[in-house]
Amino acid sequence: MADNSYAKLMDPASERAKRGSFFFLVLFAAIIFAMWDLARFLWGGTAVPSTLNMGVGVVLTALMLVSLVPVMAARKKLDRGDDAGIVSSLAALLVISVVMMGGIVYSWGSLSIGSGYGGIYDITTGWFVLHFVAAILAILASIMKISRTPERAKSERWVSYNVLTYWGGVVILWVAFFIVFYIA
Amino acid sequence: MATNEIQAQPLDDMGGDKSAFAISMLVPLLRATFWGLTGYFAAAWITAILAGTVLVDPLPATVGYVVGMVGWLMGSGLWEGWIRRAFGGKEAPSYTGIERYFRFGPDSKSTAVRYVVFNIVAFFIAGMAAMAIRVELLTPDSTSWWMSEIHYNQTFGIHGLLMLLSVVASAIVGGVGYYLLPLMLGVRNVVFPKLLGLSWWLLPPAFLAVAMSPTIGGFQTGWWGYPPLAQNSGSGIVFYVLGAASLLTASVLGAINIVGTMVYMRAKGMSLGRVPIFIWGLFAAGTILVVEAPATFTGALMDLSDMILGSHFYTGPTGHPLAYMDQFWFLFHPEVYVFILPAFAIWLEILPAAARRPLFARGWAIAGLVGVSMLGAMLGVHHYFTAVSDARMPIFMTITETVSIPTGFIYLAAIGTIWGGRLRINAAVLLVLMAMMNFLIGGLTGIFNADVPADLQLHNTYWVIAHFHYTMLGGVIFTWLAALYWWFPKVTGRKINEFWGKFHAWWFFVFFNCAFFPMFIAGLEGMNRRIAIYLPYLHGINLFISISAFLLGAGFLIPLANLFYSWRYGPKAEANPWGSNGLEWQIKSPTPYVPFPAGTEPEVVGPNDNYAAGAKEPFVWVSTPGK
Repeated sequence: MADNSYAKLMDPASERAKRGSFFFLVLFAAIIFAMWDLARFLWGGTAVPSTLNMGVGVVLTALMLVSLVPVMAARKKLDRGDDAGIVSSLAALLVISVVMMGGIVYSWGSLSIGSGYGGIYDITTGWFVLHFVAAILAILASIMKISRTPERAKSERWVSYNVLTYWGGVVILWVAFFIVFYIA
Repeated sequence: MATNEIQAQPLDDMGGDKSAFAISMLVPLLRATFWGLTGYFAAAWITAILAGTVLVDPLPATVGYVVGMVGWLMGSGLWEGWIRRAFGGKEAPSYTGIERYFRFGPDSKSTAVRYVVFNIVAFFIAGMAAMAIRVELLTPDSTSWWMSEIHYNQTFGIHGLLMLLSVVASAIVGGVGYYLLPLMLGVRNVVFPKLLGLSWWLLPPAFLAVAMSPTIGGFQTGWWGYPPLAQNSGSGIVFYVLGAASLLTASVLGAINIVGTMVYMRAKGMSLGRVPIFIWGLFAAGTILVVEAPATFTGALMDLSDMILGSHFYTGPTGHPLAYMDQFWFLFHPEVYVFILPAFAIWLEILPAAARRPLFARGWAIAGLVGVSMLGAMLGVHHYFTAVSDARMPIFMTITETVSIPTGFIYLAAIGTIWGGRLRINAAVLLVLMAMMNFLIGGLTGIFNADVPADLQLHNTYWVIAHFHYTMLGGVIFTWLAALYWWFPKVTGRKINEFWGKFHAWWFFVFFNCAFFPMFIAGLEGMNRRIAIYLPYLHGINLFISISAFLLGAGFLIPLANLFYSWRYGPKAEANPWGSNGLEWQIKSPTPYVPFPAGTEPEVVGPNDNYAAGAKEPFVWVSTPGK
């Protein structure tokens, strides 16, 4: 039986449309990071300051790469139609978000924002913090929706897919950030 | 027109709630205002106390703006309309009647109507700033009774930013585009309806912040916000940055909807070649925003960081002021194509229906729209030839002048369409023809600006003011009014008064040209832009410009009265008063809350611009396949 409620009729996009269009938003976000990755060389030169804590950078990058494990596990479960099964994976991403934010704030202590490199490092990582805040809200929303209204979550699975796509995008951007800011 | 049994079916009451307006419907709007202002002042005050500074410093103003924006959005209905439900809470209520115009919601039609109202209000206020500028320029000296030089600087900055980002940027894309986007594509709504709804609610606080920037010290940089002047001419620049970033964000949220809806949600049978030309115009504009806005967005954030966090991106020992100009113009030159490409597309949408002729060289017209958007990404440097003065100049001169080629496709498509046809000239068509004339002048004079030897002389003179007003006011705003007149029956079910529509068009055309054409001459004679004084020999021409501008400004009361009166008392229009083949005209007017009934959808079976006698209907209504 088709759902002919106002809400359904006035939100007619298919899951394919919702998931496909989300990439335009990700593209927009990615270009912002790309701008800052490029700007790093204008303001920070090609040298990496000795005060930069390489250990923290490596740990955070490793954590981001490890986070792809729950992402892939959640995607498989979504593909199988096991919506409730992704909650544990999302919870893991929630914890990783908080750790990432803590690590970023810790790293700010070793650089001066008034220096060329410190300024571009801080604003880029600050932008990452904003993305992790958004991730936390999106993940919380997904977990609560799946737990409280499983039927609704099932009919809007594109939301969970997009949360995972978003996370995958942030991982790629973080790796690019690590290469550009810590190694290049 | 396309009719069959399915379309004739009753809407199953999908027209929505028919309740009359009640004052209680304004509650979300009032709540948003209260929460927004309370949030602003509380957060700014607390920040000022914690930071040991005053309320009008950049940091408290920034924190206040962010908290105030959140309060405003929550008050508008974002919580119960979106967030609560997203977290597994109660189902969002569907407001289908008049109250949906006064609160956050997913209906693209009411969002678009709010855009129109906002654009009109913003146009009026930013227009008043223009009148204030012209009053100041009635006399050549700086000891005017009217305003100080500092106030003058603030006024032209506010005028420029508000006109560009809160009027021209969303007039056609927002008010006209968001209404027609789903209807022309044959769907009931856009791909992310709530995101589109959110886009409008970002506008009023941003507008208010820019307009009120003098209360925290103003800004004297004009709408460019170039550092280091930005950091040295008043705290109001943070309202400029935050306001511009919010307006830009609103544009991007809309652009994502435009691009996503066009790519993924076209009606059955609507191949790319059959997508309505106006949607192609919106698509070209939308791609510019998605791809190029990040550069300018980062510029705004980095500028703000310099002011409140102590970084030195554009000032101080590691500052690169020229980088700001690169970032700023990377979007804000192409932004003019975001403004004008949908306007071009409206010409090509209206003229075939008015001339009863197929759109001439449709493929070339699409290539023109996309070509301009692609070339437009690569030429922002022409705005500061005098600053770079290096080998880049001829490259950017060449690319800029190349833009005239795809623009020519669009003009040729328009001329080819009406060539040999019998154009029915109503007020909308008249305004389109005038816009074509105005933009031609604006475009041709742009070639001189792009030409390095000429530009080094013309830079920062009134020639440039005349050029971009011919394109923006003469091209975009004329077309915006044409679009409002043309699609007025679609939105309201009534027609505008044609006599006053045409009267205003001629008034507008005459005094627009009287106000702005002499600026080319004043510029060539050495009158600088952005300066409150000028040499006495320019007094006469400025007097003529000012008087013409006052008459032009006063003339805007005519369409305002016409639109308002016609909305209430205009003659009832039939469903398709212009005999257009456009898909949006195949549904009821005014558009019901749910544009077409559940269980049906349009299918495109032919070109929508074939007006030959006996041509088959371009659309049929078919049953939606069950899932």
